[in-house]
Amino acid sequence: MKPPTEIDAAEMTANPVAGIDQTKGDFKYDVKYDFDAGTGLNETTVRYISTVKKEAPWLLEFRLKALETFRKKPLPTHWATKDLENINFDKIRYYLSQGQKPKRTWDEVPDDIKHTFERLGIPEQERKFLAGVEAQFDSEAAYSNIKDIVAKQGVIFMNSTEALREHPEIFRKWFGKVIPTSDNKFSALNSAVFSGGSFIYVPPGVKVAQPLQAYFRINAENFGQFERTLIIADEGAEVVYMEGCTAPKFSTSTLHSAVVELVALKGAKIQYITVQNWANNVFNLVTKRGLAHEDAEIKWIDCNIGSRLTMKYPGVVLKGERARGEVLSIALANDGQHQDTGAKMIHAANNTTSNIIAKSISVGQGRSTYRGVVHIPKHLKGCKNNTECDALLINTNSRTDTYPAISVKGDRNATQHEASVSKVNEDMIFYMQSRGLTEAQAMSLAVNGFINDLARQFPMEYSVELKRLIDLEMEGSVG
Amino acid sequence: MSQLEIKDLHISIGDKPIVKGLNLTVRQGEVHAIMGPNGTGKSTLAKAVAGHPDYAITRGDVLLGGKSILGMEPDERARGGLFLAFQYPSEIPGVSIANFLRAAVQARMAEGEELDASGYYKRLYAKMDMLKIDRKFTSRAVNEGFSGGEKKRCEILQMAMLEPKIALMDETDSGLDIDALRIVADGVNTLRAGVQAPGIVLITHYQRLLNYIVPDFVHVMHDGRIVKSGDKSLALELEEKGYDWVKQEVAATA
Amino acid sequence: MSVSNTDALTGSFTREAFEAHLARVRHLPAWWLERKRAAYERFAALPMPGRTDEGWRFSKLGGLTLEGFALPPAIRLDQMAHRELGVTGAGHIVLANNRLVAREIVAPDLLRQGVIFDSLQNALLQHGDLVRAHLLAQPSKLGSDKFAALHEAFLEDGAFIHVPKNVEVALPLGIFHYASGAGAAVFPHTLVVADDNARVTIADLFLTAKPTQTPAPGPEAQFACGGHDLYAGHGAQVTYLAMQDWSRETLSFQFDAKVVRRDARVLSLNLHAGARQARHESFSQLQAPGAHSEMLALTVAHGTQEFDQRTLQIHQAPNTSSNLLYKNALLDQAKTIFSGLIVVDPDAQKTDAYQSNRNLMLSEEAEAHSLPGLEIQANDVRCTHGATSARIDREQEFYLESRGIKPAQAQELLVFGFFEEVLGKVEHAQLHDALTDIIREKFKAG
Repeated sequence: MKPPTEIDAAEMTANPVAGIDQTKGDFKYDVKYDFDAGTGLNETTVRYISTVKKEAPWLLEFRLKALETFRKKPLPTHWATKDLENINFDKIRYYLSQGQKPKRTWDEVPDDIKHTFERLGIPEQERKFLAGVEAQFDSEAAYSNIKDIVAKQGVIFMNSTEALREHPEIFRKWFGKVIPTSDNKFSALNSAVFSGGSFIYVPPGVKVAQPLQAYFRINAENFGQFERTLIIADEGAEVVYMEGCTAPKFSTSTLHSAVVELVALKGAKIQYITVQNWANNVFNLVTKRGLAHEDAEIKWIDCNIGSRLTMKYPGVVLKGERARGEVLSIALANDGQHQDTGAKMIHAANNTTSNIIAKSISVGQGRSTYRGVVHIPKHLKGCKNNTECDALLINTNSRTDTYPAISVKGDRNATQHEASVSKVNEDMIFYMQSRGLTEAQAMSLAVNGFINDLARQFPMEYSVELKRLIDLEMEGSVG
Repeated sequence: MSQLEIKDLHISIGDKPIVKGLNLTVRQGEVHAIMGPNGTGKSTLAKAVAGHPDYAITRGDVLLGGKSILGMEPDERARGGLFLAFQYPSEIPGVSIANFLRAAVQARMAEGEELDASGYYKRLYAKMDMLKIDRKFTSRAVNEGFSGGEKKRCEILQMAMLEPKIALMDETDSGLDIDALRIVADGVNTLRAGVQAPGIVLITHYQRLLNYIVPDFVHVMHDGRIVKSGDKSLALELEEKGYDWVKQEVAATA
Repeated sequence: MSVSNTDALTGSFTREAFEAHLARVRHLPAWWLERKRAAYERFAALPMPGRTDEGWRFSKLGGLTLEGFALPPAIRLDQMAHRELGVTGAGHIVLANNRLVAREIVAPDLLRQGVIFDSLQNALLQHGDLVRAHLLAQPSKLGSDKFAALHEAFLEDGAFIHVPKNVEVALPLGIFHYASGAGAAVFPHTLVVADDNARVTIADLFLTAKPTQTPAPGPEAQFACGGHDLYAGHGAQVTYLAMQDWSRETLSFQFDAKVVRRDARVLSLNLHAGARQARHESFSQLQAPGAHSEMLALTVAHGTQEFDQRTLQIHQAPNTSSNLLYKNALLDQAKTIFSGLIVVDPDAQKTDAYQSNRNLMLSEEAEAHSLPGLEIQANDVRCTHGATSARIDREQEFYLESRGIKPAQAQELLVFGFFEEVLGKVEHAQLHDALTDIIREKFKAG
């Protein structure tokens, strides 16, 4: 396979392989839902969700308290976009499923749902390179499986609904500890109505060789998906988790609001990869944070291509000495899209280091925003942060913003932030055109080159998909 | 005559040993070339002798004029007569060459002694002329925005002004075109011909520089040690045969 | 002044205090009086900054109290120690406690050429239209609407400079704004109008007056709320150098607004050394092609001082450029905030904008916040920003020491080098040296 930026005009003009273009998610089946919490959000909705999931009383209490917090908190429009005001919380369906128990084999999955994931290529990817897959359809996982060889090492991988029942002791220990309910309005919303998402526990010293993957599918209109993911890598453990997502294009807006908590215990490594490809009507408001203990490493690789509005700032709390945190972020905003993404690095121990590299591309009237927080409080020493943000603007009315906030105390720590905004280099385009490429091909190559060093960090299968997604987004952006 | 004596020197960066028992004696007026492939510890040796805080000397000693310098701070070593011409000289924004060199010269004078400004500038300009450095450079910030050749000439200028007893020149030829190399070599040769000629250690990867600054001794460094020494003909032999030949010889005798 | 029953929103600056101020400054043009009254109403109605105000992120809101200040009595020049700048200038104006106390024009041909260098009060009476067109004509966009309104309401006197078309003022003009006495509230203002192709260099100093009598008084909490308007017409070249050195107990606001027209070049340098808490808002508008604004600042922060700097550079036309460099040297428990925003309007293609904040951390307890922002709505631009916070570079330190320079001196050279990167942009040699001396002295004095 060729590296993504190699100049190959033949490959450029080839039709996108089935199953990896951005429109691939734009289909739906009329599924009959056995469980439906109805439209709108109140205490009854929350009780309904808790009841069908047969949850313990403490959890219902947790949810009800979160609902209160959600109601009390204002929308963060004093710093965030006013577009948030267009979310109508009363018109959303908060829970839809065909049942709470996922199937272990694809054959058992109901046909419509199975066909959905087949069209998205999930079973094929599972066979090829994954250690386990969880496929969520609206509110619940329809399929969940982990390869025997991985399960035998003691790795737990299941959806959070099941995990709460089967492993309450580990789940409860970390649940809501990295991201408290009151962190923000949407973490509170998620805490009230969450359903699905993954739970992973990797025992001490176990290094999971292949990635685990979750795929999140929204099928229903006016739906809100609120998965909750918790990943715990015990001492010296290593795991790579990948998530993908799609939804059909509806005329009304859809809400996706997840909470993802990562815990890397001493010396553990967690890599969390997201390729977000929601349809253009989805409000994607996600809270993601990891807690890195001594010598641990947490790396977020976050790629946002879809959605109407994404607000997502993956963070790492560097709690133990020498912990390392990293966020690599790619955002592509096309007409009607606002990618408001970034990173948070909270240093809380000596000699911790963090690195943020964010690249965004704005096409047409698309808007990309970088928002970052780097915090190095008093009396720490030997902490370092490096941040690089680069924005590429394709068309005359494309827009980008950069809003970092870097706080450092003391002379024993160091931070460095650099950002740039530019358009595609005209000489570069001319050079490629002089070799026979069309302007659109040249532009596509240039854009791929711009993100190449980050795209490289993705597993091969994903970086190829990423490149094609970008090619598709770039179509029609020139001329 | 002052001399530099390096005795059974061991140097580590962090936990990693780089120089592993190196011996070398350099007398004033002599030129020693230390050659060897990349990663054998040549630059580590130079920086550690100059007192860089990242390099830990774990065994052995370094004497200057018979006195150990290991307990001395970098500035004390420099005032004691040691000079390091850096491979990658630091850029120092906002500090002009004139002010920087004046501070360095002043630091060598006794407490309360005043620098004779006109004498200082006269001497500075003479050295600059010798090194073909434009006089406008005196008001420029040290090394900031300098080309590779300008940086190296600026290093030689400092060496000429500070008149060290022993100079360690770390890859002074790297990044220089042939004209710049000639200018630098002429500068070094002029200092070498002077009354107070310093002892010079030329650290270099290539033989090219040695065509212009002819060494009295040539040492080959490999894996943290000097494994072969000879006169200038050794350099020519290396040029012809490469370093593998020395490595094989070392392996055979080990 | 009564401090017993003050409104939480107005502090010492009550309606009675405002009326008393108006009663003292008679003969104001009607338009100005009307604006002042409107400004007071805005001031009294606007809330104090709160926790969720983005424009006040990281600021010490508790330090913004308006209590305990009063409009100070007049003081004569001979009652205070006037600080000469040691620069051969074209003239100077001295204001103390909101009043003109001295004016001298050394270069007589200035007046012949039509240059106006006078107090703002005189200008209001004699050049009303010119003042009206430019005085506080730009909106407050950086968070201090309330305090900017306070400034407008209580503004009594300041300096006015008008350089007519094609006239060059070769020597710098000096302006000194003094505050004298504990509790003094001053509202300094400098208005600079440089017509097309005019050239002028201005040194603007904001100082707490040291009385001539000894012993010097104890702590002198003062309140300073001032700023400037600077208009550079087509092809004009304006160099504006400001030094803020209020007493270390002062609460200071400084609001600067610059308008840069076609092919005009403005270089502004703000030095900050004084005050307990100093907020500086600087707003630069690049309104026509070829406009260039160089925005420089240098802060020496000691003790528990807080320097809060907010900047906005708006590129409103194609082919404009701006370059911002704000450097802070932080000692002790000092705190700095830099929040800057480059805005490129949708049609401002070919913009070249740069923004840089460098914090030199010189103590274990100093605290630096950097918020360098960009909002870009045109694609054919070159916009970059950078922010660093770090101690003195260890490799630079080693390099100097390896030349025999002692560690303490090496450190001083590097700190002064850090300053010089900003000061070096002042081309006027005498002014460069004078400002360098002041900054070095401030750094050493601690």
